[in-house]
Amino acid sequence: MLRLTLAQMRRSLGRLTAAGIAIAIGTAFMAATLLAGNVFTRTGYDAVTATYGDADVVVQTETLADAAEKLDVVRDLPDVEAADMLLPLGAEIRHGSQRRYQVTLPVPSSPRLSALELATGALPTRDGQIALPDTTAEALEVGVGDHVQVTWRDPYDPEADGEPAEHTDDVAVVGIVDDPSHAWAQYGGAAVVTQDDALRWNGLSLSSQDSVGSVLLVAGAPGVGTQTLLDDVSTALPGATVQTRDEAAADTVREISGESNALLMVVLGFAAIALLVAALVIANTFQVLVAQRTRTLALLRCVGAVRGQLRGSVLTEAAILGFAASVVGLVTGTALAQATLSVLGRADLGVPLPPTVEVTWPVVVVPLVVGTLVTVVASLVPARAATRVSPVAALRPADAPTVSARAGRLRLVVALLLTLGGGAGLVLAVVAALSTDLDPIATLGLGLLAGAASFVGVLVGAVFWVPRVVALVGRGLSATGAGARLAAANTGRNPRRTAATSTALLIGVTLVAMMSAGAATARSSLGQELDNHYAVDLTIESMSDDGALPAGVEQTVAGVDGVAAVAAVRTTGVRIGEDLWFSAFAVDGDRAADVLRDPRTADGLDDSTVLLSADLARALRDGGDGGPQVTLVSQDDDTVRVDLRTQDTALGGRQAVVTSATLAQLAPGAPESALWVRLADDADPAQVLQSVQDALPDEPLVTSSSAAERVTYERVIDTLLGVVVGLLAVAVVIALIGVANTLSLSVIERRRESATLRAIGLTRGQLRRTLAIEGMLIAGVGAVLGVVLGVLYGWAGAATVFAQVGDLHLTMPWRDVLIVVGVALAAGLLASVLPARSAVRTSPVAALAVD
Amino acid sequence: MDTTVARPSGSPDPGSVPGGPATPPTPYATASSARGLTKVYGHGAAAVRALDGVDVDFAAGAFTAIMGPSGSGKSTLMHLLAGLDQASSGVVRLGATEITALDDNALTRLRRDRVGFVFQSFNLLPMFTAEQNILLPLDLAGAKVDRAWFDTLVQTLGLGQRLTHRPAELSGGQQQRVAIARALIAKPEVVFADEPTGNLDSRSGAEVLSFLRRSVRELGRTIIMVTHDPTAAAYADRVVLLADGRIAGDIVDPTPESVLAGLEALRTLEAPVGSSGPGAGA
Repeated sequence: MLRLTLAQMRRSLGRLTAAGIAIAIGTAFMAATLLAGNVFTRTGYDAVTATYGDADVVVQTETLADAAEKLDVVRDLPDVEAADMLLPLGAEIRHGSQRRYQVTLPVPSSPRLSALELATGALPTRDGQIALPDTTAEALEVGVGDHVQVTWRDPYDPEADGEPAEHTDDVAVVGIVDDPSHAWAQYGGAAVVTQDDALRWNGLSLSSQDSVGSVLLVAGAPGVGTQTLLDDVSTALPGATVQTRDEAAADTVREISGESNALLMVVLGFAAIALLVAALVIANTFQVLVAQRTRTLALLRCVGAVRGQLRGSVLTEAAILGFAASVVGLVTGTALAQATLSVLGRADLGVPLPPTVEVTWPVVVVPLVVGTLVTVVASLVPARAATRVSPVAALRPADAPTVSARAGRLRLVVALLLTLGGGAGLVLAVVAALSTDLDPIATLGLGLLAGAASFVGVLVGAVFWVPRVVALVGRGLSATGAGARLAAANTGRNPRRTAATSTALLIGVTLVAMMSAGAATARSSLGQELDNHYAVDLTIESMSDDGALPAGVEQTVAGVDGVAAVAAVRTTGVRIGEDLWFSAFAVDGDRAADVLRDPRTADGLDDSTVLLSADLARALRDGGDGGPQVTLVSQDDDTVRVDLRTQDTALGGRQAVVTSATLAQLAPGAPESALWVRLADDADPAQVLQSVQDALPDEPLVTSSSAAERVTYERVIDTLLGVVVGLLAVAVVIALIGVANTLSLSVIERRRESATLRAIGLTRGQLRRTLAIEGMLIAGVGAVLGVVLGVLYGWAGAATVFAQVGDLHLTMPWRDVLIVVGVALAAGLLASVLPARSAVRTSPVAALAVD
Repeated sequence: MDTTVARPSGSPDPGSVPGGPATPPTPYATASSARGLTKVYGHGAAAVRALDGVDVDFAAGAFTAIMGPSGSGKSTLMHLLAGLDQASSGVVRLGATEITALDDNALTRLRRDRVGFVFQSFNLLPMFTAEQNILLPLDLAGAKVDRAWFDTLVQTLGLGQRLTHRPAELSGGQQQRVAIARALIAKPEVVFADEPTGNLDSRSGAEVLSFLRRSVRELGRTIIMVTHDPTAAAYADRVVLLADGRIAGDIVDPTPESVLAGLEALRTLEAPVGSSGPGAGA
């Protein structure tokens, strides 16, 4: 029987190869993901180990006080050469308009206990000194001998009134440190300061009972073995966790790798989607293989094969195919991972990457087992069909093989229940998120679950509705000619296969469209939120002590490309009523209309009017003080009162605008403390922002704009979207292989029909066109339905997530949608090229042959 | 070949074309002809001469059968006459067109517009209804349907009740009648039928053959049919006998008996024993 199976496989090699590619891509994906996971772990382990420097032994501690106490004990041991606290803390370092959050380490007592090496200068010897990593020094534009400012606050005291006091230390840069082993690369490098400075800047002290993550690094005296040292320290510190450097690193990595494992699981989830799509392609292929072999199978039954043997033959074939394809996938995936690693290694990302991928048992076994299993499971239904072949079929003249097109009633019920139930759950989740204050996690969870259920329902029911949609579209196309009519009729001949092929594509496209619509909605919802918040394109504020802008800044900014108008602004704190405080702005020369994003906002501004933002107006009305006449009270005392008419405007945030004259009444000495900038309509906000920042002098100035914030989060959204779509693209590629496979199978099945059509006058071009239309019809319907479903899911998801954040702006990602549908149609067309070539080679004489 | 009754030529028996066809073709014209037609399959030692210098003419408005034992080349002759296959040498004409000189696209158009086919296995498209199958050649050509002609065909072939049925819902005889309607719908100059009764029981077979004959007698069509069944051949106006790739005889107004006798003569020719030639049919 095995010989027969192999012989049959040889005969169907072409078709099996196409199906095998689908599985191979899926397993390659999986293998590469697992290998990447290994690289993550390895990199993390290496980095953690490197932070321990050349320490021999590592001691875990509970609190800072505990650490200090243990450190004293350890330092007194005769076998110990040096011992230090590994105490990574943080500090906000500023120089001019640049600021940076920096990880700091205390000065090591021995170079052996630090991963850092001094490049130039010296390490700090007293408080008020710092050695910076070169990246930070570059970013802050400082060198040895320069001074930087560190801002810090007193420890929070619940007894005291108000916020803890803020202090600024002037710190001298005494050295630049290197990190050759990339130990702190993931934190952007580490600076070295005295332990006292580091603790003070973080509101800590050595008597602190705060559980600050700290370990003791211990280096043995020359000639002392690690085991001896380990025993010594353990004896001196009864009950403490004392480990070798490698043990400690392994422990730490295990603790922190939960995060990267979660990431791995997500990526493996995408691999699972790819394999699911591959399974659909496999199932299709085997169905047709069995149908084509009906005669052989019947003959085998005639000569005495039992049903089990036929089933066994099909399953063996699937197992062999699955295993072979998985091996190919495994090798390809490993090669790809290694190639990527080599490229990244050469690119020097500042992360210590291992030179080769680490092929562990799971990396080999999991893809092989999963790939083989998926293939075998996908062939179960076709295998059952093989056992149904009656021996008499061998004696009948071969009809065109047909695959049962009937689908069970149970399937319909399950599909309907899942689709309707899931859909209802999804609607419920959206409504709940929009209208109630329920826990967002709960509504999101419900939405996810319901969405997944409805999608499964849609997929299970695909065999019922996809062929109908294809038929409908086909009927529409039929008017365009005989080729289209033939193609439409052909897609309707085997509804189950058409459904499976379209569905394979639908899965990938739905997920891509969902991500795309969700991202677009997130982008515009957040964008709207930001626009509401900022009434001005770009704001530059002074951070100096007196709050005044340095001279000449206005002219500098006005000269930047893309800046349309600049106005200096005076501001003062005012209140309405007892406790509604806010900032009142006055644009110099009352040119507010020039610089506000929407000039109409300033309509009606005169000495007796205050323009209020929507937020403020609402707060006023809620306080029962909605105007139309209000009294502004100045900051200094209650004596300066101005009666003003209120006017609601599209100003964002909690801002109010008055005339210069009004402001002069409220705060006569208010300096020009900010610039409002309007950008040219055709300028790229991010670009102008960058130019403005570059043009600003080295003064404490803060630039803010919706454009700046938008760029930041849009970058995050776009990166995430790019990664996810890239991962899903694998599933789409597999599905397109499925389209090509289905078409070539159809061509083989319909050899005789094609010959007949050629005999009665179908030209080669018409035959090619017929197949092209068929391919595009299957792919196009899958893509369009996927887009519709995906956009709905994406909107539902965005509605659930952003309902609480702010205004929801459902956005249609037209560009992405058009690209997806375009790619699908082009691929459908492409998929028809090879099958069409073999189809037109069929001689019309074949129509007359009787087999 | 002195046993043959007549030279195969384009002189049909006028009696076989009764008057009164709706659109009579040019009387006595040659619908299809071959000169020095040779077809060789394979190369070198394995080469088989399926046709070996065949000269033959088929009269327009006549029902001609091509007969011969298995391997005589009768199917090959039909393929070449119909422009389905390429000749090794020689010339085939359809009307005045030399089809051996045409490229694939021109041949396809010629088959579409000027030739009709009836196959042994019917070869209807399973996803189309009977009516869609009948109209397919016009569909492919993008031509307008001549409703009167369509109705005539449907009525003559008795398909009125079956037009909306798919092939799977039709009997073999009904399917072949649909195939005949499909072959005739574009009013082709010649209809080629390849063993049209091969897959039918004798009653349906007889029905189909009478339809073919009626389409010649009443509708003025030209039919060339390949068959190995003497009874089927007897429905024709004339039988051309083929043996070993050569024309081996010609019977005008055949009867089953005269056809059988002609075949018998061929067999005895092969076993080199002289025998009386097939007599001219009644």
